Amino acid sequence: MTYEPIWGTIIAWYLFLAGLGGGAFITSAWIRLRNPACTHLIRAGRIIAPAVVIVGLCLLMADAAAGFAHPLRFVLLLTNFGSVMTWGVVFLAVFVVVALIALVLDLLHRDVPQWLDILGAVMGLCVAAYTGCLLGVCQGFPLWNTALLPILFLVSAVSTGMAAVLLVGAVAFPGEFNTVVPLKKFHFWLPVVELVLVAALLFITAANPSEAGLASVMALLGGNWAVAFWLLFVIVGLVLPTVLECWMLWFAKPELEDSRTGQTISAVSDAGILIGGFVLRLIIVSAALPVTIVQPWML
Amino acid sequence: MMTRYGMLIDTTKCVGCYSCRTACQRQNNLLPDEDFIRYEHAEVGTYPNVRVETVPLQCMHCEDAPCASVCPTGAAHIGADGIVAVDQGRCIGCLYCMSACPYQVRVRNSETGAVDKCRFCAVQTENGTTTCTCVDACPTHARLFGDLDDPNSEVARAIAEKGAKPIAGDLTRAKVYYVR
Repeated sequence: MTYEPIWGTIIAWYLFLAGLGGGAFITSAWIRLRNPACTHLIRAGRIIAPAVVIVGLCLLMADAAAGFAHPLRFVLLLTNFGSVMTWGVVFLAVFVVVALIALVLDLLHRDVPQWLDILGAVMGLCVAAYTGCLLGVCQGFPLWNTALLPILFLVSAVSTGMAAVLLVGAVAFPGEFNTVVPLKKFHFWLPVVELVLVAALLFITAANPSEAGLASVMALLGGNWAVAFWLLFVIVGLVLPTVLECWMLWFAKPELEDSRTGQTISAVSDAGILIGGFVLRLIIVSAALPVTIVQPWML
Repeated sequence: MMTRYGMLIDTTKCVGCYSCRTACQRQNNLLPDEDFIRYEHAEVGTYPNVRVETVPLQCMHCEDAPCASVCPTGAAHIGADGIVAVDQGRCIGCLYCMSACPYQVRVRNSETGAVDKCRFCAVQTENGTTTCTCVDACPTHARLFGDLDDPNSEVARAIAEKGAKPIAGDLTRAKVYYVR
């Protein structure tokens, strides 16, 4: 029997957007702490965070067809606290409320209390990590059923959140973009960490006692998902941003780094991070094979 | 004393006629594209004594059902007599149970969007209801159903005699046993 993935592109978009939103809020809290004068970047993060998470949740609800037809059933989501999805609903609910309050206060030019920023950032971390745990508890899929996955999704979420805010900065607020150097230097390391985590995930999955582990890894490295994995995720999403940012942060002259060209190069790097973040969710959701059905990766 | 219902499927008797699936669809009033039983085929033996083994797979009614532990709404649950069931009125169709089930035997109803699977409807025969379940329909009597805890039940005796085992070892505590 051929295996059709249970979750598809819509769920991949949701996992990506939930992580991106959590990461964007964390980014705005960080900028407020280190560069409080960059009010436009802080606001950009506060707008992106709830907006993308709400879009993601709409996709999720539309994908849950039986609930979409009977919306009252979504209330039942709070009944089984043994389920990661129930915890996710709690984290998402608190996160969206906190992020919306922070946004409204910001837009009204009122002070956003520090504790609200911290609560939102913590909830952002929870949302990002939960998306990995959601897949991670599915014991039938060796590619998912490892504690590395929540860490990988968390790092990718923070990376995509920061990339989204930095991209807005590079395009619309170049002055502020040039001042948030500590953020850029932290962000530089995230794709590097991701590379290590992905390599570890693949080695450990391939060593799974079930053939499904190796088959899933080979689907990524040399099978149906190889182009997405190597080109869009590894090269565009991880290596290109690492190389470009390494150049900008440590080798380029300050005149180039702070110039329009420098900002364009950074924008390309951040766009690459966003593409890679989505493709990571897509290939992890799609390439996982269950232990009870194994397809040969090459025919 | 609760009964612990289970099933035995003897693939050495299975001829791969798919009657069980057809009977299941009729018995449970399923949509044409809705299957509670799926089949895996394996080549077994060494040349020249080879054959194709047909393995019918369906909900194993696990005692530690992963579908029930991940279901956020409580729709997937372990009901009376250990039968794993889906409350169709609670299911939102998130498909988390389908991802958690290691056997890939849960299906989405394409009309309602809710998830469904083998209901162990053979249990109805216990109170004398006339049925045409997979057990009744199998022309080679490859299937047996009954109380696993009653050492005198036909199914319990056959499992012991033939050394039947769950399909995937101790992956879950499955209550469908296979002779292969």
